[in-house]
This record gives sequence, structure tokens and C-alpha cells, in this order.
Amino acid sequence: MGQTAHIVGRLDNFMIILSIDTATDGVSVAISDGARVLASSEMRSEKQHAEVLTTMIDFVRKQAGVTFGDVGAVAVDIGPGLFTGMRVGIASAKAIAQVLDVPIIGVTSLDILATAVSETDDVIACVIDARRGEVYWSLYRYIDGKLRQVTAPQASTVEECALQTIDRGQATLFVGNGALRYRNEIELVVAGVLPSFEFADEMAALPTAVVLAQIAHERALRQEWQEADTLVPEYLRLPDAEINWATRSAS
Amino acid sequence: MSANTLFNDSTVVLGIETSCDETAAAVVMGGNDVLSSVVATQIDLHARYGGVVPEIASRAHVEAMNVVIRQAISQSGVPIERIDAVAATVGPGLIGALLVGVAAAKSVALVLDKPFIGVNHLEAHLYAALLDDPHVEFPMLVVLVSGGNTLFVEMRGHGDFSVIGQTIDDAAGEAFDKVARFLDLGHPGGPAIDRIALAGNAKAIEFPRAMMHDGLDVSFSGLKTSVINYVRKNPTVSTADVAASFQYAVVDVLAAKARKAAQQIGAKTVALGGGVAANSLLRSTMTTLCAESGWRLVLPSMGMCTDNAAMIASAGWYRLVADGPSSMDMGAMPNLKLT
Ligand SMILES: [Zn+2]
Repeated sequence: MGQTAHIVGRLDNFMIILSIDTATDGVSVAISDGARVLASSEMRSEKQHAEVLTTMIDFVRKQAGVTFGDVGAVAVDIGPGLFTGMRVGIASAKAIAQVLDVPIIGVTSLDILATAVSETDDVIACVIDARRGEVYWSLYRYIDGKLRQVTAPQASTVEECALQTIDRGQATLFVGNGALRYRNEIELVVAGVLPSFEFADEMAALPTAVVLAQIAHERALRQEWQEADTLVPEYLRLPDAEINWATRSAS
Repeated sequence: MSANTLFNDSTVVLGIETSCDETAAAVVMGGNDVLSSVVATQIDLHARYGGVVPEIASRAHVEAMNVVIRQAISQSGVPIERIDAVAATVGPGLIGALLVGVAAAKSVALVLDKPFIGVNHLEAHLYAALLDDPHVEFPMLVVLVSGGNTLFVEMRGHGDFSVIGQTIDDAAGEAFDKVARFLDLGHPGGPAIDRIALAGNAKAIEFPRAMMHDGLDVSFSGLKTSVINYVRKNPTVSTADVAASFQYAVVDVLAAKARKAAQQIGAKTVALGGGVAANSLLRSTMTTLCAESGWRLVLPSMGMCTDNAAMIASAGWYRLVADGPSSMDMGAMPNLKLT
């Protein structure tokens, strides 16, 4: 992720970053300066994300006591998640970065979920509900104290996801709203096979802007960012019409 | 309407349109002075599906939005700080597609600390004709004909209008699309039928004109069915004759209803809007009709018939002057009506 953009940003760790996450049922916004979160707001809402987000950004900015001119980069959860919801955050982040002429940092929802888990020897299975009995998922491990993604993110059935954790045969911590929703299905597959397994609770089920901000600051230090125009969402799933078209053309 | 003196002829509005399959941005000053209008069409992306696929449209909007806004601002020659307000289509349209434009527009407005204006896409089509010809006399009849709508609108002044007739089933543009698909002429159907009809005889086949004598409403579903039935019964018929006769029937109905509507409201002006307003037979028929009846006809330029953001910025400016800004809590309204 994140090619180096031709934008000269401030290289100190105190760059102010605006972080936006709308990839799941939650909407969250944070403003941070590398050392700390200056302000943040979060809600789980049945309301459309678009109705909440702009006002939330303005509220958090005022709470943080900064102006938009102080913002040095914008970070956004690029998914996978709910297509319509995640696009609200992505379209907003891209527009803000463009108008402010600052770089954008795109982070996957799976990376955000994994980063929220403190250091452990377990495999961390980040699992996001993709509806229709499917999940978006990826496996992570702490290696030498550093979090590493050990499988490419993918969309699959819940069963396929559970089976792949068995392949590794290690104690596993399941995180995310997909893990909680399909807890019974996952347990059926892994119980008695994995040496041990656990489910992170509801509090850790959704990615948040505060955790996104933490990743964004690390990436900003390495200038792992890009220009707003080039940032694309991580859907992990084609539009239905394209899938049907491909199936029909193949047969 | 209360006059809003903060906003005037030098107010510059950035308009954004993403309700269907065009990603568009435009900069318009004072409601009518189009400084730039950029449209990125997705027609090629949807062509093989025979219609617009909402999820594909939404994805394409996200990818095109920034570039389109950037081009609209640079082509306008005004610096971004000079933008006084940001308008976006909030409905009607595809929910996922609308949300991309609404989210982007509100974000631009927020960062620039300028007002946001949520615009009704149909109201914007009413203003499209006026972009080239703003000084019209009211009452004005607007015949709004597109893939999604067929409306006869009485306009008594800016922001003061009512729908006095509409289709009870298919929109005119929808009938063009369906007949074109049936005749294998491709998508979108309007331009395809217009083109092939030039080589056909419009009087070759007498297709039915529904509801000619009942009020101002129209119906195109029966016409579409009779075209299909006719071609099935007469498989060797010339496609050009079918297209020409079908087009003639649609235009005949629209012109007859427009005449009745204009007489009823005592129109001084008649305007066309929407994608079907680009149809050559409709344009020439309405030109003749209005000349005979003494109504001034306002025809939008071809680029202003189909979806664009200049009409959004224009309608946004009129709304801003009349009512002030919209709330930043505004979302998309996919089923918004023209009221
Ligand atoms: Zn339209």
C-alpha cells in the first residue's frame, strides 16, 4: 500500500492527521498529532454515514483546537467493508486532501482491526462481515514484536476462513464483526482442532479512527502516502453484475 | 422567497453531479455564467449490461471525482479560494452514486468554510435550458424528458413550479432505451434511434398514441409493446422504418401534450430539458409548434440536455439566493420528487 507521492510533507512526528473511518456500521473521526489523539468521536449508527460524517469532522476539528490549515495529511479506512458506507468516508477524505493539497494515507479495515490487538503469540484472524454468508479476512502475527500480515486479504465463505486458520494449527484470536456474527460457524470448524481459540469482544469488533491514526502516523514518518486522486478503495469483491457477466461469458 | 443579499451575480458556485452514470463538476457564476463544465461519462462501462449498473457507477464516481473537480476548477480560471458555495445533486438518483457526490461536495464546502447546497436533480434540469438563455418570460412550460422522467412543469418564476402532467408508466427515454435494446441498436437508445430513424419512413407504421385525449398525462408502455408485437409479426420489416415510426409516435404525443399544457397555463415560453431533448425530431417539431403558437422556445444546447454539473450549480445558485444554504446533515434522497 501507499506509493510515495510527490508531495513534500513535514517529516517530524507531530504532523496533524485527520483520520476518517466509515467502512463498517460505525462512523469515526480522529485528529491526532503523532504523540496523542487531540480529539475523536465515534458512533454506531443506522443513519446513513453521509448524514453524520461532515458534522462529525467539524466537531472533532473544533474540539482539537486546530484549523484545517494545520492538517498535514488525511488518513482513511479504504475497506473492505460495506461498499456504500465506505465510499462516503473515502470520497470525503479524498476531497479534503485535494482541497488542502496534502497527502492521503489509505489503510485497510483489516489492518486497523489487527493493530488494535495488543502483542500476543496467537494468530490474529481479522474477520469483517461481508454479508451473504461471506467474510473479508486476513491473518496476522506478531513477529519479533512487530505486527505482520501473514495472508493476503480475501473474501470467502466463513467456513473457508475457519479452515485456513486450521491449516496454521496455532492458537488463534478471532477479531471483528464477522467473527462475532459467525461465531457458531467458526467454532464448529475449529473446536477440538486448534490448540486454543478466543473471540475478541464487541468493543473490538469495528475498526476505529483512533487506531487508524496510530497506523497513519507510522506511515507518515516513512512518507508512505499518496495523492488523493490515486487512492482507490479495497473492495475485495467485484460488483454482482461483473461476476454474473464473467460466469455467463465463461459458460 | 426572501432575498439573500449575501449572494449575488458575482457568487461563484462549484456544482457536483453523480446521480447516475456521469461524474460531473462545473463552476458557474451568478447562476448562468458557465465558467467550466466537465463531464466524465461511464457509458462504456455499462454498455455490455444494457443499462446502468448501480455498483459499477458508484465505483467509477469515486475514482473520477477528484480529477473531474480538479479539471472544473482549473478550466474555470478561478482559484479554489474564490468558490463561494458548493452544490451537489442530493436526488433523485442511485443512492450509492449520489452519496459519492454529496460526501465530496460537503467536504469541499467544510474545508473551504463555504455553504453547501443540496440540489434536486429535476429542478436542475429545469434550469439547464436557461443557462444559454437566462432572460425568459414566465409563465414557462418545461417539458422534461429523460430516461427516468417525463414531466410537464409549469414554472411561474424561479423556484416556483408545479408538475401538471407526467407519464403514468415508462419515461420517454426509457421507451427509447427498451425499443433500441429490442431492435439491437445498443445503449443508450435515444441517440441510436435518432440516427437510424433518419434513414426510415416515419409514416410507414401507424403505432398507437395512448391517452391523447385525457388530460396532460402520457403513457409509453403500450407503444413499446406494440412495437415489439409488430416486429415479431413482421420479422422482415425495415428496422429504420420501425425506429422512425416509433420516434414519430413518441414525439407526436409529447408535442400534442406540450401544446395543450402551454395553452392551459398561458405560457409565454416553452423549454425542453433532459436527455430526450437532444432528439432531433422533438427539437424540430417543437420549433415549428412554438413558432405557430407564438411561444418563445428555449432549447438547451446538446451538452446541457444530458446530465451535467453546470445545471446543478445554476439551480444551486437560485436556491442559495432564495433560501440560503442547506444543512451539512443532509444526505442523499434517492426518491426525491419535483415539488
Ligand atoms: Zn438527469
